Amino acid sequence: MNINFTQEQQRFRAEVRAWLADNVPAERLPSFDTAEGFELHREWEKKLAAGNWGNVNWPIEYGGRGLDLISWLIFEEEYYRADAPLRVSQNGIFLLAPTIMEFGSDEQKARFLPPMAAGDEIWAQAWSEPGAGSDMAAITSKAERDGDHYVITGQKTWSSRAVFADWCFGLFRTEAGSERHKGLSKILVPLDSHGLTRRPIAQLDGDPGFAELFFDEVRVPVANLLGPEHGGWGVAMATAGFERGLLLRSPARFQEAAARLVRLYQSHKHRLASGVGEQVVQAWMNAERFCAATYQLVARVQAGASISSESSANKLFWSEMDKHLHRTAMSIMGAQAELQEGLDAIDNGRWLDGYMFSLAGPIYAGTNEVQRNILAERVLGLPR
Amino acid sequence: MDFRYSQDQLDLIDAAANVLSGENTVERLRAFAADPTTICKSENSLWQQFAELGLFGFMAPESLGGLAQPLEVMVGVAESAGYVGLPEPLIEVAGISVPLLNELGFEDELTAVALGELSVGVISALQTYQSNAHFHDSFLVAGAGVDNLQSRSSLKLTPCNSIDPLRQLTRVELALKQNALADRANLHGAVLSAAQLLGLSRRMIDMSVEYAKERKQFGKPIGSFQAIKHHLANAYTQLEFARPMVQLAALQGGVAVHNAKIAAIDTATLIAETAIQVHGGMGYTYEVDLHLFMKRAWALSAEWGDRNYHMRKLEQYLFTDGATLGASQTFS
Repeated sequence: MNINFTQEQQRFRAEVRAWLADNVPAERLPSFDTAEGFELHREWEKKLAAGNWGNVNWPIEYGGRGLDLISWLIFEEEYYRADAPLRVSQNGIFLLAPTIMEFGSDEQKARFLPPMAAGDEIWAQAWSEPGAGSDMAAITSKAERDGDHYVITGQKTWSSRAVFADWCFGLFRTEAGSERHKGLSKILVPLDSHGLTRRPIAQLDGDPGFAELFFDEVRVPVANLLGPEHGGWGVAMATAGFERGLLLRSPARFQEAAARLVRLYQSHKHRLASGVGEQVVQAWMNAERFCAATYQLVARVQAGASISSESSANKLFWSEMDKHLHRTAMSIMGAQAELQEGLDAIDNGRWLDGYMFSLAGPIYAGTNEVQRNILAERVLGLPR
Repeated sequence: MDFRYSQDQLDLIDAAANVLSGENTVERLRAFAADPTTICKSENSLWQQFAELGLFGFMAPESLGGLAQPLEVMVGVAESAGYVGLPEPLIEVAGISVPLLNELGFEDELTAVALGELSVGVISALQTYQSNAHFHDSFLVAGAGVDNLQSRSSLKLTPCNSIDPLRQLTRVELALKQNALADRANLHGAVLSAAQLLGLSRRMIDMSVEYAKERKQFGKPIGSFQAIKHHLANAYTQLEFARPMVQLAALQGGVAVHNAKIAAIDTATLIAETAIQVHGGMGYTYEVDLHLFMKRAWALSAEWGDRNYHMRKLEQYLFTDGATLGASQTFS
């Protein structure tokens, strides 16, 4: 076992730190779930891309630096340490991009990855449907072949950032009469397509963080099929693995939140009950454990292991940890906890925002109940 | 940066695990439980095998006949010892006494321990009770102004009764103050008791899964019900996130040790309670083997610093000492 960073890795960390110190906006950007905030976050993505910092672990030809996942973790650590803006492109860069790299043709890689890296095309996910949430195999939206096009009809929902994004990656039924996880395909669709209507959904904080998408005979070139036709379930599962497993939530995010929680506790502890400190320690311990586990997972992935059902444990851990951490912060702030912004709002309501967002964690990327089923059946071997 | 065991290290851990699981069967544990006086060194073929396999000298220098393995590899062996519920104090001798003897320069004693000719235990302020002290010929007494070897016969050891039938317990009648050597013992003791708790946890999950696959109610295996599945999935998740922390604690020492021991305690406590619930009424009996592992988990949770001890250390670190916090600190 070796837990020392190489000189090269240390030099890389210093370089990231220096660039972020010079470039991270002094003020936190408005939420990317607003029109103004979305465009400011897009500008930030462009700035990252211009410095070639957007995706350090991508191959050089697609706008990355060709670095390994340890370097990516280092980048993430510095990124959260600098309190840099959240990644408005996260669905694209963390979920779709690894899928394109694994399943996409050379043409698709060349067409989609560079503009994604540049912040010119921001992606949303279009998987869930009103009748297909946890039971994703119940998807009914169909994509019928018509020459060299698919004609898509149906409805998608809970599509994060789709109100302002440019493209979506969807899962549609391409094989007429197929059932369950058979006959589905993953298709990339421009969100400004003719026949596609977006209805914003206000999330808990009132902002339109996601949208319903209505497809009324939307025509998409067959070239936008990602992976095998009718084999979309396998492609989607690979994406879900990335989402739950590693890329979406790196430890740095939680370690920085835990550090802020310790400071919050310090400034309020004169009026707190004796058990609160232990909850703060617990939040810090959880973040450290998540960090240790992630470095170990990365070491295994770099040695050739693939992440499969065990990614469900990862998702359970970070989502429960995040909820506990923010719940603890809310309990510390007392009467100020309800203040969203402005007068008396601690950190301009950041903890409240974080708490509300943490409540979504056990739901998105596959509910925690589904993750527990996956672990019980596929890892522990309990009967279905 | 490559936070994984090497293949050589995995081979060593596997070799120890194979002997432990092959020899220390539940039948052996049940026989010991029926007559705890049979837990002893005489005619103990497994204790002899530990010597032959070089397990006592696992952490001793090569020049003294040891394998010179670091603490993080010993963690893997301790996890296996926990998994099988090993009653013999192998981990205490090989993982705590040996490194301390080495630090104090007791070369002759160290060589004898590695050969299995001598057994040495450790006594420090944090260890109020000794388990199976009768295995040891002498004890390394760690404490301010002491730090020496004392024969067992020279020490006052008063018998006590543990709920774990495989722990013949004695209270050490010595007032000791913490010092550097005791801190060292504590580090190894906390990390290795945590590692054994991980093994015990995994064993209790495995037993519960097996039981849930076989036991039928409402015409189906109870393991097909989500209520059971979700309990076990939570237990598994907590275990998977405790293990890397224990390995990191072995590599780093310091505050990571407190986090690791609490992780292992909380994991083992959750899993023991989950296991008894999954086993239903059978879990509450002496007839089902679960209790042997559950009781060991209770006992080890309080060895080498209980949850309060480690939690207070972390409160001190986070709230008083001005800890450096945030991303990028864990491995620096």
